[in-house]
Amino acid sequence: MKRQIPLLIVMILGFLFVIHTFVPHKISADFYDWWQEWSKAISPFAVVLGVISLGMVHGTKISRKAPNWQYSVVTLFALVFTAASGFIWGRQDGTPYMWLFENVQMPMSATMFSLLAFYIASAAYKAFRARSAEATVLLIAAIIVMLGQVPLGMSISRWIPDISTWILNVPNMAAKRAIMLGVGLGMVATSLKILLGIERSYLGGGD
Amino acid sequence: MEKKKKMTTWNRMQHLDRRYIYIVVAVAIIIPLLIPFNTPTYVTEPTANIYKKIDSFADREDKAILMSFNHDASTMPELFPMEVSILRHCFERNVKVFTLCFLPQAAPLVDYAINTAKEGYDVTSGVDYLNFGYRPYALQLPIILGMGEDISEALETDSEGRKIDNLKIMENIRNYDDMNLVIDFSGSASIQTWIIYARAKFGANIAAGITAVMVADNYPYLQTGQLVGMLRGLKGAAEYEKLVDVFAAYKDEEYPNGRPYSQEILKEINVPITAKNVTYDITDDEGNVERVVTDRELQYDFKKARIGMNAQSVAHIMIIFFILVGNIGYFITRKNKQNKLG
Repeated sequence: MKRQIPLLIVMILGFLFVIHTFVPHKISADFYDWWQEWSKAISPFAVVLGVISLGMVHGTKISRKAPNWQYSVVTLFALVFTAASGFIWGRQDGTPYMWLFENVQMPMSATMFSLLAFYIASAAYKAFRARSAEATVLLIAAIIVMLGQVPLGMSISRWIPDISTWILNVPNMAAKRAIMLGVGLGMVATSLKILLGIERSYLGGGD
Repeated sequence: MEKKKKMTTWNRMQHLDRRYIYIVVAVAIIIPLLIPFNTPTYVTEPTANIYKKIDSFADREDKAILMSFNHDASTMPELFPMEVSILRHCFERNVKVFTLCFLPQAAPLVDYAINTAKEGYDVTSGVDYLNFGYRPYALQLPIILGMGEDISEALETDSEGRKIDNLKIMENIRNYDDMNLVIDFSGSASIQTWIIYARAKFGANIAAGITAVMVADNYPYLQTGQLVGMLRGLKGAAEYEKLVDVFAAYKDEEYPNGRPYSQEILKEINVPITAKNVTYDITDDEGNVERVVTDRELQYDFKKARIGMNAQSVAHIMIIFFILVGNIGYFITRKNKQNKLG
């Protein structure tokens, strides 16, 4: 029963949505409106579930003094303090919540993302070599696209931005479209397998 | 003897400690940010298309745009200047603008962008702009679909808890027919949700403001016309900043509320970022430059992307330089090895 009921829900609702897409009948429209109302009620439970899960994972780590348990204390403290500052003082300009956002979250997130520039530069120097004809084409394309992204490219030659655009518009797009078509067909196949109950791994617990 | 010494140098460079590369990159990025310099900004078509679309809604009561903030603070350096520029454009040209986000991390970003952009403008929440606020990600689909029928039913209240229906900004705005342009800002593929549901089902116009690394992924949508336009990374943000300075924020007797977009004007004007006030450098056909200084201050927040582009330019040159040096070293080392072997 534990597996049959969720399977049945997925199959019935899945096919109902497929029917709704193709049948513009009043019953179909009413069903859609009903689903919209219900979906709004479901999402708050996900938040509660997330907070409970986070509390349990880190609470267990702290109580067992697992390696690096101190980070779990920081995580739980940050969760409680940030949420409390938002609930008590609001999110307006000048409130502790906004201060935390501007002075803690913003610089920390930006710092993490900016590390990418250093890794790219280092990787480009160490690994980007014209070892074969394909690698040489890739290397030349990369240099042209990089130059096309900055004013210097235009200053060197007005052709550089044009060639850069051509690379993005023709070879890049052809490859991307092929990948997207493949992914799209894969999604249709997987969706059908889920609707027909063939693919059941999303239920968890193994077969 | 001399040949052997050269070989050692190239060999050593092949195994250069990466910390030296990090230092060079850090210096290459920090100096242009601290000491800005003027570089020309060339506006590309995908950026201009978004500008023209928004501008076509100027002074219209029955048209509005929606800005969807789908990112966190990590991608702010690229996306935040885009958001501020578009908000400025709307405030300058009296375009109704709505904001919305489906990520909790984006909620303060929306407030931050509005507070930054509205400085110096006489705009009111609920009249000129409206923040729908944060909605859980799980509700993204029903909300996107629901807005196609009735926005006030799909969202009900704004970020301050006010009933949307009662607000002045909602007059003549019901669904995507009126809120006719959605711009999604993200560092992911979230734009696809808007294309699949808002565009395909309701015919909404969709545009994207995305980080540079995601640009290649979204080109197919631009080519098919599913995207009206695309702001591509920091470059797109810098281009939009320039467009706002040259057209929307332009004031004279003939155009007291900004002038209309013109490719010809754009070609001949540059806005130097080192100037204290908004300045127009107008180049004529013979290459002579006439400088027009306005009395409006060029605020730091309104030229952030163009300053960032200086750093990006230098960083790109540095990376290209590293690639070239690395390859020269690779070929010399390989040739020397071959010579030794045979």
